[in-house]
Amino acid sequence: MPGPGPLTGSHRVSDRGSHLAQLLAKTAHGDHGAFEVIYEQVAPTVFGTVRRVVRDPCLSEEVTQEVFIEIWRTASRFNSSKGSPIAWVAMIAHRRAVDRVRAEQRSADRDRRAASSEIAYDEVAESAEHNLDRERVRHCLKRLTDLQREVVTLAYYRGYTYREVAGLLGVPAGTVSTRMRDGLIRLRDCLGVGQ
Amino acid sequence: MTWRCPPPHTLAGPFAMDALDPASQRRFARHLARCSECAREVMELREVAGRLAIASASPPPDVIKDSVLRVTKRVRQLPPVVGGSHGGQRGPKTRSVRPARTPRLAIALTAGAVVAAAAIWFTGHAGDHSPASSGADPAIAAVLTAPDATMIDTAVRPGGSATVVMSLTERRLVFAAAGLRALPAYRCYELWLVGHGRDRPAGLLPMPRHGMTGPVVAVGLHAGDRLGLSVEPVAGSRHPTSRMILLITL
Repeated sequence: MPGPGPLTGSHRVSDRGSHLAQLLAKTAHGDHGAFEVIYEQVAPTVFGTVRRVVRDPCLSEEVTQEVFIEIWRTASRFNSSKGSPIAWVAMIAHRRAVDRVRAEQRSADRDRRAASSEIAYDEVAESAEHNLDRERVRHCLKRLTDLQREVVTLAYYRGYTYREVAGLLGVPAGTVSTRMRDGLIRLRDCLGVGQ
Repeated sequence: MTWRCPPPHTLAGPFAMDALDPASQRRFARHLARCSECAREVMELREVAGRLAIASASPPPDVIKDSVLRVTKRVRQLPPVVGGSHGGQRGPKTRSVRPARTPRLAIALTAGAVVAAAAIWFTGHAGDHSPASSGADPAIAAVLTAPDATMIDTAVRPGGSATVVMSLTERRLVFAAAGLRALPAYRCYELWLVGHGRDRPAGLLPMPRHGMTGPVVAVGLHAGDRLGLSVEPVAGSRHPTSRMILLITL
């Protein structure tokens, strides 16, 4: 891949953050070159996230393009005091992916793939590409309780709402909501986010 | 405001992972505007979600980059927010770029509808050339009036319906559809003749008019062919690059 390459490595996440913020500021002023560099840096994160949620390869490509069009269009809305550039990009990608999957797959198809979160977790574990961030996330997911891990992976990697997760697991919705929050808090501490 | 269990703070987790239904999402967003502690927590949890995203990284096909860079050259950007306060790191409204969907007309096309559509096409498309194989008017008429003309009606998986009238003696078919899902500007529907060991491109479908697509003519039909439909980059492909959303045994 040309350019500085995709975001990998935990230290580089924050180092690259300020660089990405500058690129977003340039993009907000119509700089296509800056936008291309952003594309190169975050495309794997966007596409990987979208594909995991959407599943269908063709739809994933469509949604990925929509995500980048949104990044281009709304670059001026990025506000570095409200979060890192990569969290902003990931939020756009994930939202678009869940919107699409919820619109497209309210059918039996969606119920059929309502397997346990083991699948989602295994995907993190088995992914062929070695990547420091993935290793850390794997490590930290293992340190969650089974229920925390299940609710987090079903929501984030499958795009289920917390009520859907509750239905799938046969657990009260309030419990799922609480486990999502404390699961993420435990991940935050394990990953050293915000420190 | 009253919150039934679970209370707002515990919704920070689902909110940060887009796991609330739209109504709860809006209510929680309003709550965030008044609860700086919650807003701070959501910001941190979104960073965690960002790490989950990074951990999924997987490079997209190269064609996406070209398409994105081409399309964004034509897309206007939002101006900066003046006055600063926009209540939290907001994602963009997610429906703004995607073209409006054609209402899913539950139209089951009939042969009559194909003929009617053909008639509209005859009268309305003079001098207008369809991107699909340039089926001149007589080509459609030839298929529709062929002694062995056979009609097939079918549903298209993601939405809509298609009607095919084929004639093996003419070695052509006429394809028309209704209520196909609207595609982004950089995508189009492409027809394929599938059989004899390879997929042959059989034409790009034009933009729908009033929810109706076509009719278009595909030529070079052989006995035993199947007709496929897939979503492709707007310029079309030599080989299908996505799963067929329709595959009809002719």
